[in-house]
Amino acid sequence: MPPFRRAPFITPLMLRPRPGGKCPASRWRCARCHGWQFMIREATGRLFRWTMEYCAVPCAIASFFVVVALLWTFLLQHIIAYPFVFLFFGAVMGSAWFGGVISGMMAVSMSSVLIAFFFIPPLYSISVAKESQSFLAAFILCAFAISIVSSAKKRSENAIREARDELEAKVQERTAELRRSNQEILESERQLRILTEAIPQQIWRANAEGQVEYCNQHLRDYIGMSAEELRGDAFLRVLHPEDEVLFRMGWRRALAAGSRFEMEVRVRGVGDVYRWFLVRSIPQQAEDGRIVRWYGIHIDIEEQHRTQQSLALAQEDLARLSRTLSMAEMAASIAHELNQPLTAVMTHAYACREWLNARPANLEKASATTEKIVLESARASAVVARVRALFRKEVQSTELTDVNHLIQDLARLLRDEAIRRNISIRLDLEEGLPRLEIDPVQIQQVLLNLAVNGMDAMMQCMEARDLIVRSQPYGESEVLISVEDHGPGIAPEIAARIFEPFFSTKPQGTGMGLAICRSIVEAHDGRLWVVNAEHGGAIFQFNVRTQA
Amino acid sequence: MTQRPDQTKESRETVFIVDDDAAICEGLCNLLESVGVRASHYPSAEAFLDHVTSESAGCLVLDVRLPGMTGVEFQEKLHHIGIRLPIVFMTAHGDIPMVRKVMKAGAVEFLTKPFQKEELLQAVEQAFAIDRTQRAEQNLQGAIRARIDSLTERERAVMALVTTGLLNKQIAAELNLSEITVKLHRRHVMEKMQAGSLADLVKMCERVKRQA
Repeated sequence: MPPFRRAPFITPLMLRPRPGGKCPASRWRCARCHGWQFMIREATGRLFRWTMEYCAVPCAIASFFVVVALLWTFLLQHIIAYPFVFLFFGAVMGSAWFGGVISGMMAVSMSSVLIAFFFIPPLYSISVAKESQSFLAAFILCAFAISIVSSAKKRSENAIREARDELEAKVQERTAELRRSNQEILESERQLRILTEAIPQQIWRANAEGQVEYCNQHLRDYIGMSAEELRGDAFLRVLHPEDEVLFRMGWRRALAAGSRFEMEVRVRGVGDVYRWFLVRSIPQQAEDGRIVRWYGIHIDIEEQHRTQQSLALAQEDLARLSRTLSMAEMAASIAHELNQPLTAVMTHAYACREWLNARPANLEKASATTEKIVLESARASAVVARVRALFRKEVQSTELTDVNHLIQDLARLLRDEAIRRNISIRLDLEEGLPRLEIDPVQIQQVLLNLAVNGMDAMMQCMEARDLIVRSQPYGESEVLISVEDHGPGIAPEIAARIFEPFFSTKPQGTGMGLAICRSIVEAHDGRLWVVNAEHGGAIFQFNVRTQA
Repeated sequence: MTQRPDQTKESRETVFIVDDDAAICEGLCNLLESVGVRASHYPSAEAFLDHVTSESAGCLVLDVRLPGMTGVEFQEKLHHIGIRLPIVFMTAHGDIPMVRKVMKAGAVEFLTKPFQKEELLQAVEQAFAIDRTQRAEQNLQGAIRARIDSLTERERAVMALVTTGLLNKQIAAELNLSEITVKLHRRHVMEKMQAGSLADLVKMCERVKRQA
């Protein structure tokens, strides 16, 4: 007959089913499922543990402290008059601390009994004298208080420790997680880096100010500099000097605006060879829109550039050919137009001579013939006038134009051509020139013609291959525009004829370019002339009146 | 002074000028008239074709560029309709391929405008000379044909065999005649053809045959 059956306060402890138990019907474990033997063994085990926890251990702790206090009191009572209270307080405190509130209570009751027995008169009796009862009561109350406070303190301390331990565990867990994710990041970064190193393109990364922080192997190999040397803006120094200025400007603008940047430039590689690259840069923005980084890639477009250039070359040849052909056709038709009246004039003149030489001279016929000669000569001169009118360009439509703009447009237009011919075009433009009342298309044509002539002139020239285009004020109300080359200049014997139509020094020239230029400039009330520069090249210059 | 084409002998000879430029035509006519050569001018190839006959004598002065057709095409067309006037071409813009083409087709001369008087007159004279020989040849052939036409069938057969060099005996055998008859026919042939010798007869026949 198990006694715990009648002790309902322990039944739940004993019969609450464990997870995975076999008794599905009820919350309680049943004897039918587990058998009486098991139930009894389980119950006794629990009872033993309960007894140990709530009775035996607190009782032992309390007894130990109280006995120690008693012994010390005996030892000390010869030295101090009434030491017993303090030592017993210490025992209560220790019991409550180490054994909990139950142990504390036991220590209080044990101490009370022992004090009453040993130290309160009548001595060696459990009874308490009337005058000492208040003292004992005070002691018990104090001891109670101490016991409660001490155990509470102990509990709270335990709670704190547990919390701390828990915290520590959590911190450790978090640290481990962090370390793991860090490693993952490192790994992915390593993979990314391997990838960027393996890509057959040149890649770099720069900070928000545009200072390069990282370059991949390909870029380093191409330029032949180490990663440290390439840091900052060292990259700008390996650009072709002619591209560098434009690149700097564009890059600065992109940095300021935070916009994508793209430009074709020549980059110097190992062995001082330049190749064309398409440099493309993309900003990386933080969440607040601020730019944190720039990524760049260089794409080798040398081959494309070569193809483009040869294509342009072929096109130019074709254009020149067709221009020459059409000029030849035109010349033939002009010749025909002129030859017809000339032939008539000549035949009439011969006839006239015959009439006059005849015996007798046929004056009537001769006179009629001279009339014809006059008529035909007039016709010939009309043809000449018509041809002249064909080439004299009338000013079509004028508008106020900034001539510096025109010149800049020209430089842009000729940039590729100049690069192909290894010529650099320099501009020397006076700021703040008044706007000109001109036909921009025609003046652009003049500029283009003069510039191309200058570039042609420098074809054989070895050293300085500069074409300088200048604009400057001229007199009070005029602007002078000059195109200076470093070619051989104009020989004095041909300087006078150079503006004549059909006069050309070039094997494929039509001889019309400068003639047309001059007629355009003259149509603008200006003048076009040529002088030789001190260094030997030619300077073609023309003036255009500013608006009156 | 330059030599003048002989106008007394062949006064019918005319220079036909075809050029769309009236001033050139007038100038050329004036010049040719002043040296006593008959000339007439036409503004286009069609106008000339309306006027010209196979009897027309002289030469043609043609501009290479004509309205409607080129001078070279015109040259071919004339050849086609049997007008064999010698042609002098002129142009204000001659090029080598064109010169080669027209000279190949039988042009007398190629003049580049503006040309000297002597060039023109020489070319015209040359053309006239060619025309004269051509015309004389044509007349001769015409006469020979007329004589051949006057022969009888049998006489023509005999003549054909005689000119191949057969003897009377052989001809007689060929035509199944007596030798006497062949001789008679042969005498008639020589009389009608006005041939002094066998060689003359052969020459005449050859001339006509070549033309055919």
